[in-house]
Amino acid sequence: MFERLKSMVRPSALRAAGVLGMNARNYDIIAQNNQRSLYPLVDDKVQTKGLANKIGINTPRLIGVIEVQNKVDSFLELVKGFDEFVIKPAHGSGGKGVLVIKKYTDKEFVTASEKVLNYNEVYQHISNILSGLYSLGGRYDVAVLEEMVHFSNQFQDYSFQGIPDVRVIVYQGFPAMAMMRLATRESGGRANLHQGAVGVGIDIKTGKAIAAVQHNRPVKFHPDTKADLMNLQVPFWREHLEIAVKGYDMTGLGYLGADIVLDKFRGPMMLELNARPGLAIQIANGRGMRDVLENIKNNYPKGLNFEQRLDYVLDVAKA
Amino acid sequence: MLQKLKSVRFVLTIGLVLSILFAGISAYYKIRYWGFSFAPKKKTAVWTVEAHVAFEPTGDPIKVVITRPTPSKDFKVLDEDTVAPKYTVNMTKDKVVLTTKPKTKHQDVYYRVLMYDNVDSNGKTPAARADKIVRPVLSEQETNVAMEVLETASKLEGDAVQQVIFLLNQTPPDQTVQAFMPERSTNKETAQAIIDLLALKNVSARMVRGIKLQEEKKTFVPDVMIEAYIDKMWKIYDIKTGKKGLPSSFVVFQRGADSMFDVTGGENSSIKYSVMKSLRSSFKMAGHRAKLANQQTSFGYSIYNLPVNQQNALKWLMIFPLAILVVVLMRNVIGISTMGTFTPMLIAMSLVETGFWAGLVCFALIIGMGVAIRAGLSKLNLLLVPRISAVVIFVILIMQFLAIIGYNWNWSIASSALFFPIIITAWIIERASITWEEEGAKNAMKQIVYSVLVAIITYFVIVNEYIRHIMFAFDELNLVILFVVMLLGTYTGYRVTELMRFAPLAKKEK
Repeated sequence: MFERLKSMVRPSALRAAGVLGMNARNYDIIAQNNQRSLYPLVDDKVQTKGLANKIGINTPRLIGVIEVQNKVDSFLELVKGFDEFVIKPAHGSGGKGVLVIKKYTDKEFVTASEKVLNYNEVYQHISNILSGLYSLGGRYDVAVLEEMVHFSNQFQDYSFQGIPDVRVIVYQGFPAMAMMRLATRESGGRANLHQGAVGVGIDIKTGKAIAAVQHNRPVKFHPDTKADLMNLQVPFWREHLEIAVKGYDMTGLGYLGADIVLDKFRGPMMLELNARPGLAIQIANGRGMRDVLENIKNNYPKGLNFEQRLDYVLDVAKA
Repeated sequence: MLQKLKSVRFVLTIGLVLSILFAGISAYYKIRYWGFSFAPKKKTAVWTVEAHVAFEPTGDPIKVVITRPTPSKDFKVLDEDTVAPKYTVNMTKDKVVLTTKPKTKHQDVYYRVLMYDNVDSNGKTPAARADKIVRPVLSEQETNVAMEVLETASKLEGDAVQQVIFLLNQTPPDQTVQAFMPERSTNKETAQAIIDLLALKNVSARMVRGIKLQEEKKTFVPDVMIEAYIDKMWKIYDIKTGKKGLPSSFVVFQRGADSMFDVTGGENSSIKYSVMKSLRSSFKMAGHRAKLANQQTSFGYSIYNLPVNQQNALKWLMIFPLAILVVVLMRNVIGISTMGTFTPMLIAMSLVETGFWAGLVCFALIIGMGVAIRAGLSKLNLLLVPRISAVVIFVILIMQFLAIIGYNWNWSIASSALFFPIIITAWIIERASITWEEEGAKNAMKQIVYSVLVAIITYFVIVNEYIRHIMFAFDELNLVILFVVMLLGTYTGYRVTELMRFAPLAKKEK
């Protein structure tokens, strides 16, 4: 605690580094770029999926939606024909309430972390989702059943259990910053940075790692797999960015975070969009985001379609 | 975007300046006319001076004249009345006149005046001109003695009046003084001697009689001071010490040599003054002050004119904006995240009622027991709403249990359980348990500690009696707080915790 106090820096030092603070994010960025009425488009995963399909963004295929308590019993019928599936709350955030079933019979369900649940426990989980346990503000929610992502071998060495995902911040239609989140033993297979996952800053033009942190401190190797994080290269980088950039066209949100996973068979897929993406991405990249956003706002051309914006960013970045 | 931000800030800043101005003016007004003060002085002293006139009727029509205190800004008269059955009461500017038909039995009449707010006067009564100087009628020998006295006096310190007073009060008495006036003279005689001596020096002086306010005082003679006309102003002096200025406790009844009371149609008359002090709520007196200052309408529509129980409720509410300001500062400027936005504020409010340590220990007990019970509940896999409802009921049961234990074991810490908000406490338990399950005990503890920390800071702000008094007595300050809070809504600088969180980024730049 006192050590942390000692590490405190002067505000001017952060300003010089172009760091975006929480207040500035809320006031200057979110309030100015994200219309409130657009939030439901990304807060509700069912809506997001529908929009994504329309505009041609790959997402995990929807199996079904359970909206009311007396339909909870029918979840087994819904997943008939699927070898594995994922249950998640439509209004969840930060991966809360997500249950990944990779093997199951009528009575036993094996989760991604090899935990075996009985029928009642899965039933209970869906009920909890419906009662709003995982939703923003505790509202009543619906449970979404979708296909499991087949996590690509590409990142096998970089993640302990869990699925690594790529977070891209899109500002006024242009990708601004990106990072990859890698689960660790400490984070319990989750990709949440504040629980101890590793954040790797990714170069926007190349998709290569530029820096990595765990618990706010720079790291070079994955703490569990010992893989050299600086060798990390996200394959299909242009396709990743394309999904993120299309997220802007599909929602109209001027500041958004796109969470993208790489599927073994179907390539990059959008997991969800976030209208209030956090600021930890700056730490993972080892640089402030304010300058980047201001540069996009002041110097980037307006009125381009997603293809042109992508070309522009990749070219500008190359130069 | 920047333009918009500037104009919003501009408007809010103007609002802030205006609200500060308004609060300032209003505070001045309340202090000046309603007698409010910044210190939490709850009571105002009210002095009752009673003049009791007794006499034996002679059989003629009766007329009793008693002098009233001269109206002045130094004292405010709360109430005045007379106890004189079957008398006709007539109040003039400076006298009370009581008249009645001839009587046969012994008569007692009373005049009573209630006063408050004696403030220091500068002791100078501006007067356009001096009274005519009445030279004392003295024999040649007496004149010689008087001149000798004046001669001796002129060697003493102080101004002309003080020199005389000092000399007359010297112990042992000066020989010339002994020749001039009797050794054991009354206050009135001393005052008269001073006036006579000053007359010889062509200084106009007069007697000032009144009552010095002292608790439980009973006297047959009024207190005396003298006033001398110097530099076109009446200046008042104590006849014993020569000290200039009207003491704060002295109420002037009469100036000049006239009698303090006069009875026609009676004999063996006497007057007796008694003084009593009582205390009244300052806020109650405010209404009377406002009336005197012709500000009754504005007072009527203020919160201080409401029934006492409503005032008490408002007094409690008036502290909320300040507590809210603390919460806003903690979250948006310091950057401490707490469980629920206003939860710490509500805990702080409870601590005010329970007392600090008792409340803190008791709260820890409730939360500890609650989390333990909740851990058991989570095994039952209940749905959200029934589960939180069960927690609420458990909280009520815990409070009941603690209250009973507290009463029977005479353990006041446990008794304070009843002051905590039930629903808020239940949610803290629920959130702590969920955080515990999902992110570990460390994170759950961290959240609770931060929330309690903010509650403690809020507590120390709102428990201060001065602050609470000021927020109630000068409730316009809430308008200032409103604008400060809104201005903080446009604060886009870093939070203090971000200076630590993003520290690695800054170091890299160097």
